[in-house]
Amino acid sequence: MVKDTGKTVRADTYKPVNTPEALKVNEDALGLPAAVKLKRREAVISIEDRWRIDDEWWRAEPVSRLYYNVLLASGQRLVLYKDLVGGGWYEQEY
Amino acid sequence: MQGIDNRTFVLYNIAAMKILCVLLPHFAWRCEARRNPALEGRAAIVIQSKDPASSQKLVVDWSPELEGLTRDMPLQQALARHDSADIIPADLPYYRSVFKEILDGLEQVSPLVEGGDPGCVYVGADGLHLIYPNDAALINAAREVTADFTPQMGIAGNKFLAALAAQQSQPDDCKIFWGDAASFLKDLPCDVLPVSVKSKGKLRDFGIRRLGQIAAMLPGPMQSQFGLEGKRIWELAQGIDNTPLLSRFMEEVIEESATLPSITVSMDAIVTSAESILLHILPDIIRRGFGIRNLTLWTRTWNMENWEREINFREPAMDIKSIVVRLKRALEDYPQPGPVEQVGVRVNRLGYPLGRQRNLFADMRAQEHLADDIKQLELKLGNPQIYKVKEVEPWSRIPERRYALTPTSR
Repeated sequence: MVKDTGKTVRADTYKPVNTPEALKVNEDALGLPAAVKLKRREAVISIEDRWRIDDEWWRAEPVSRLYYNVLLASGQRLVLYKDLVGGGWYEQEY
Repeated sequence: MQGIDNRTFVLYNIAAMKILCVLLPHFAWRCEARRNPALEGRAAIVIQSKDPASSQKLVVDWSPELEGLTRDMPLQQALARHDSADIIPADLPYYRSVFKEILDGLEQVSPLVEGGDPGCVYVGADGLHLIYPNDAALINAAREVTADFTPQMGIAGNKFLAALAAQQSQPDDCKIFWGDAASFLKDLPCDVLPVSVKSKGKLRDFGIRRLGQIAAMLPGPMQSQFGLEGKRIWELAQGIDNTPLLSRFMEEVIEESATLPSITVSMDAIVTSAESILLHILPDIIRRGFGIRNLTLWTRTWNMENWEREINFREPAMDIKSIVVRLKRALEDYPQPGPVEQVGVRVNRLGYPLGRQRNLFADMRAQEHLADDIKQLELKLGNPQIYKVKEVEPWSRIPERRYALTPTSR
């Protein structure tokens, strides 16, 4: 008979897609993104949109993010957010 | 003549039976204290929902110093007696796994071990005199396995008497009972009988409070009033218990679980997770020519509440899709008690499928070939190589919660 493996199936069988990636962002005096470091440092020429999500507030680590849809000097568009709990900046498709 | 011989043989067996009963009082609480030593010495009540759909909580167990509590007592009543006690939701899968460890350990003491409800074990002690020259050696061996649980042990000639002896023994001690069962039993209350609540109620209605009162009667009137159970009640009152010692079902149980990346209330996320577990378990079962006959789907919520449903398959299931349909139905019919953190599947019974024919359609065959190729690739390179994207919570405001990758081959 098959033996009980006792294993716990974890990340290798269930991987979230589109996880946020940490990003270096220079903020201006108002805390808005002024420049982003991708392969090289690029200035943000305009903020096209921004929105905030607050979720899972009942948990020990709630989700609170301020998203920005920005246009970079190179013409590239980027969605990034500031983690209002941890304080870091992340890039993530929305 | 043949009949007389058989009868003689059976009676001889009963007379020769020697059973060690190991009781592990407050088993659920001790499991919790083993996991969290800070609970030791604190007043705590282990509770469980009456059923998955109900919000009523019932007492499962409690710390030994609390008095006046009974099993299945509503939590409100328990708190009325001990308002400062900690409340611990019962973690049944954990208790089962600890109990399984104990049964495994006791099987090293004697090959014949019967585990009933968690916390009560019967060990066949016949024919072990070459390994354990006396009862003390046997008791010590059993005590070593169950040392964390302060066992109460009893040795007697049948299960009923062994259980009574264990109940009357001191913690970490053993009471050995050989002798006149009738005089041992006569003053005990009828509540000690392992019979239905209905029969116990009926005994009270008849004004029968002690086993001695039953023993003084003839079996006929008992049988006419209580039916088949009447005979058993009368026999137990005489100290006769012919129930055999049934060793554990030797079929291995396969259990795996998955911790979700984030807690969820989404049925799709739970199904996806259960499916990925089954995709991991099932190929091994199928390769051996078996199908799944019975499985238990269980979940644990973020606040440690448990939910579980048992699913039977009339025809042993070898096809993941048909299993997932049944899982979905169970999840729809019996809602979760809260946001889910962990999902598990326990395959309890396997069976041989009656007959299976290969698919005639070429495209289905092609899919099977593709699955085989992916499996080969995985075996060669080690880890899952090809994943598929599954919708988990497509409506979620948090982007990483919307989709997940699961291995194609599993």
